[in-house]
Amino acid sequence: MLWRIDASPGKATTWTLSWFLFIAGIAGYFYASHNRHLENPDDKVIPTLNQLAEGLSNAFLKPDSEEAAPEDLANASLATKFFTSMLWTDTLASAKRFLWAMLLLIPAVFLGLHMGMFPVIGQLFLRFILFFDKIVALSVLPILFIAFGIDELSKVMLIVIGVTPTIILDTFNLTKSVPREQIVKGFTLGAHDFGVTYRIVMKQILPRVLNSIRLNLKAVMLFLFAGEMIASQDGLAFRIALLRRHMGMNVIIPYVLWVALLLFLVDLGMKVANKRLHPWFREA
Amino acid sequence: MSKLIELEDICVIYPVHGQAPKTVLAGLHLDIQRGEFIAVCGQTGCGKSTMLRLILGAEAPTSGRVLIEGEVLPRPDRNRGYVPQKYSLFPDKTVLDNITFGPEMEEFNILGRLTPRFFKRRTELRETAHALLQQMGLDPSDAHKYPDQLSGGMQQRVAIAQALIMRPKILLMDEAFSALDPTTRSGMQRLLRTLWAETGTTILFVTHNLNEALYLGTRVVVLGKQNSQGSSRVIADLSVPADARTDDGQLRRDVLDRLIHQVEQAGEPQLAEAYS
Ligand SMILES: Nc1ncnc2c1ncn2[C@@H]1O[C@H](COP(=O)(O)OP(=O)(O)OP(=O)(O)O)[C@@H](O)[C@H]1O
Ligand SMILES: [Mg+2]
Repeated sequence: MLWRIDASPGKATTWTLSWFLFIAGIAGYFYASHNRHLENPDDKVIPTLNQLAEGLSNAFLKPDSEEAAPEDLANASLATKFFTSMLWTDTLASAKRFLWAMLLLIPAVFLGLHMGMFPVIGQLFLRFILFFDKIVALSVLPILFIAFGIDELSKVMLIVIGVTPTIILDTFNLTKSVPREQIVKGFTLGAHDFGVTYRIVMKQILPRVLNSIRLNLKAVMLFLFAGEMIASQDGLAFRIALLRRHMGMNVIIPYVLWVALLLFLVDLGMKVANKRLHPWFREA
Repeated sequence: MSKLIELEDICVIYPVHGQAPKTVLAGLHLDIQRGEFIAVCGQTGCGKSTMLRLILGAEAPTSGRVLIEGEVLPRPDRNRGYVPQKYSLFPDKTVLDNITFGPEMEEFNILGRLTPRFFKRRTELRETAHALLQQMGLDPSDAHKYPDQLSGGMQQRVAIAQALIMRPKILLMDEAFSALDPTTRSGMQRLLRTLWAETGTTILFVTHNLNEALYLGTRVVVLGKQNSQGSSRVIADLSVPADARTDDGQLRRDVLDRLIHQVEQAGEPQLAEAYS
């Protein structure tokens, strides 16, 4: 019964099944860690719970050790410690780049919308962007470094080059998929080109555009991390790359999980906002 | 009476990918007077919707001219209302906002929508919309629903209200009632007749149902294939006399026979058979 495609497992089964791999993964990890530490108590590759705790407190509660530590943090509150911690400063640095990239997606959405609505704009950009879309963003990284230097701009540009063509083309296709009747209807109701574009078409595609951006969050992060790992003085990926040299697995693992949590929260936030802003929208 | 719409020797040819172009309409002539209620019939694929789109200005004929009050108009405008069969409502707007959308768009630009005058006007428009909804037999509680929360019949009524609030000179309806059950449908037919009589709007109503056409229209136009060719033109054009129906609502046989005779004459015996 359980293996049939029309099986309907109960609550307990569902719960057990969906958490099973998490539990198994964690158990497997600590089993491996324990075994390695039996052979070599100083092993750093698979840190034990104690080592992880130490790494966590280092990351979450202490500032970057290479920087001059601010005076008497020892008896500051937990919140103060957290907001001056290495993890938090890294998060802020990455978040700034991330937000810049997200801001630059707004003009991309507008470009896609206008390409879909105005044939002349579409003809001007479509072929070019289709071509641009095929460029492997990481392959132009050296060019970016030469053109924009190795500071912030080239990292943001990497994200822009990597993600905006997809968003532009997605928005373009979504715009095109709005039934022609809706546009004609708009004209018969006294709307002109911009009225139809913004008040009818844009409103209709916006929830789908947001979903498309959500799907592309992974790509944004990917390019952000690539940029940070290759050339950066701060940021989450910079830290992970740096710690690799010290075999700092007990900090890398919390960092990886932290990044996953952040991305999950951003995605969830956008999903909830989308629902709130567009109560009419039913996901197909 | 003055001619409101003139279709002059219309020909519509669509390019078909990898095949010979398809001639949908050829040699189509039709004059429509102000205030007429034209019911358009014809087999599926004969170009009824295409003809509506031409009058609407959503499409230009390959050759020939579409004149509205003697002028060729390049695109749809607020004087020609449209109730398409599908996608007639804006899914992102509530019923009320769907209905008031037209006047709001027409009277206010983006900046104008920020002024107090706009909010005052919107209150008025919403009242008008409520009145229209009531006239359409919709419940006030439906006003704040989204289109996909309504049944097909309710959606169609909202779409008509949405078009009517503009007080268009011409109202084009494409199989507007075909998705409705018989009871709702006859209710809507009565309503449309009343609205037409009250507003004096010229209506073009596409339908597959000959009975509906003869009930609604003051004139029934049948589009059909010319002998052997694939393209359509007007094969029957009948003015429906005011007394076409007996008191108990039955259609007079001779009216129907005249129409069938015209269809037969045009060389469409199968269609004639289907109608009788
Ligand atoms: N954009 C287009 N490109 C190519 N062919 C088209 C296009 N629009 C319509 N046609 C063709 O034109 C013919 C007439 O279409 P139209 O939609 O006007 O028919 P109709 O009489 O409204 O049919 P129905 O009763 O099924 O709605 C059809 O054969 C259709 O395939
Ligand atoms: Mg049709």
